[in-house]
Amino acid sequence: MKQKIDIDHICALANLKLSEEEKARLEPQLVKIVEWVNKLEELELDVTQGEVYSPVSLPLPLREDEIQPSISNEDALSNSPETGGKFIKVPKVIEEK
Amino acid sequence: MSLTSLSVSELCTLLERKEIKAEESVLSFLEKIREQEKKISAFLLVLEEEALARAREIDRKKEKGRLAGIPVAIKDNILTRGIRTTCASRILGNFIPPYSATVVEKLEKEDAIIIGKTNMDEFAMGSSTENSAFFVTKNPWDLRRVPGGSSGGSAAAVAAAEAPASLGSDTGGSVRQPAAFCGVVGLKPTYSRVSRFGLVAYASSLDQIGPLTRTVEDCALFLQVIAGQDGRDSTLSSQPVPDYLKEMKEDLRSIKVAYLKEDVIKAIDPEVKQMYLNVLGLLEEMGAELHEMDFPSWEYALACYYLLAPSEASSNLARYDGVRYGLRHPSAENLKEMYLSTRTEGFGPEVKRRILLGTFALSSGYYDAYYLKAAKTRSLICREFKEAFKKVDFILTPTTPEPAFLIGAKEDPIAMYLSDVFTVTANLAGIPAISIPVGLTKQGLPIGLQVMADYFQESLLFKLAFLLEKKVKFKKT
Repeated sequence: MKQKIDIDHICALANLKLSEEEKARLEPQLVKIVEWVNKLEELELDVTQGEVYSPVSLPLPLREDEIQPSISNEDALSNSPETGGKFIKVPKVIEEK
Repeated sequence: MSLTSLSVSELCTLLERKEIKAEESVLSFLEKIREQEKKISAFLLVLEEEALARAREIDRKKEKGRLAGIPVAIKDNILTRGIRTTCASRILGNFIPPYSATVVEKLEKEDAIIIGKTNMDEFAMGSSTENSAFFVTKNPWDLRRVPGGSSGGSAAAVAAAEAPASLGSDTGGSVRQPAAFCGVVGLKPTYSRVSRFGLVAYASSLDQIGPLTRTVEDCALFLQVIAGQDGRDSTLSSQPVPDYLKEMKEDLRSIKVAYLKEDVIKAIDPEVKQMYLNVLGLLEEMGAELHEMDFPSWEYALACYYLLAPSEASSNLARYDGVRYGLRHPSAENLKEMYLSTRTEGFGPEVKRRILLGTFALSSGYYDAYYLKAAKTRSLICREFKEAFKKVDFILTPTTPEPAFLIGAKEDPIAMYLSDVFTVTANLAGIPAISIPVGLTKQGLPIGLQVMADYFQESLLFKLAFLLEKKVKFKKT
């Protein structure tokens, strides 16, 4: 069965806006890749949901939640394209009526 | 004798005996960089003044660390405080990290000197370093060929003697594959052995930082320094870090090795295959017990990887939206428009391809068939490895199916992905794996051998790699 990918829907989910030219190039590539990974369908899997998420069974170490020095407000904002005081500025979110 | 042809341990000896100064060490590598960079282009940034200033400071210190005066090249997805870190992406083109990665702090604590930031595939997505947004790095053994990737700059820098050691990151083979292409040693440690704090995330359940060096001993020394202890990576193991250098030189009592079935390797480059068989022969002469092994899910590993890694990437890379750091598209009229334009302009084609593939695999209606199926396949692969390590201590494979390919030779994404066929399994299972150079093709291109071992068995890996290194006597550039 020919694989179908709704490229506009996927782009919208991924916050990407592709030109028609880019879409025309990427869509067949994605279809080909997805058809290629469909190989996994052949596999009989007897894996339970519980086994899925961590490949390494680690006792994850915990530490005391103590307040320690962290990066300063100034440092944290130093790479922001636009700031105002202690805040990051972005274009307006709410449209005017 | 040229300082740049020495290994880290040889340089350390000279520096400890005060036969040379840290400044001389740095100066000779800087000179080598000036001479080689015109051809190789391994570095995105060379820290000439900073490295020299640091060397002079170290020369004045009384108590010195164990890497005092050793220049190190760092892959550009590892954060260095105050030093531009781009991930070879336009979206992070001007990013100056306000903090350093744990591995960088650990190196600096031992007085290693960061000499520069190396080129890579954008966000570590690629196997050739051709996906860098800035330029292509050349393979020092043949300038028409790729150095491998994604840590291509880090491998090429060590192969061209521009640095005695470097750090890379390995998500599906990104340290081992370029190490094999460039004739150097490269290690992917056990998942959770080395802190990922300050490593720009690509696929968090697969990413590990690892060293690239000229010798196995140097690799062990570097792992010793960067492994363990950090309160800032919650996935980091609390297992104590053994004395790799000491354990590496202890006797290996029995060598039980698994090798791949003929039909797994039948399609690979004949010279790579022959070299693999030669090494197996060598091991047999050394008294090793060889077991042919069947990994039924092996052939599914690549497809599994190319679903899981892009899925994790699509989520990890959602943070690049033009708000807090990096590129911001200037003319957007509203917030949504800004996200879209920034991401569309800032990411290169392979990054977009993987974000879209991952978004697809995680999207409603496809999640069970793709992401979940791949996650289950991964568990199956882990299980097979766990079973295998009940019978053997090592699994040997070629590192790559072919030697370094020509720049521009793999325009089809799937052809490029096939480059990772032998390496992705170690990332999926989380086990350690090392690539060591074992010979050259008739054309003079390096061939790598991959040795894998059970979880946290890096000492064993080093032991066998060290033995093989002495046997094969690979001649460096």
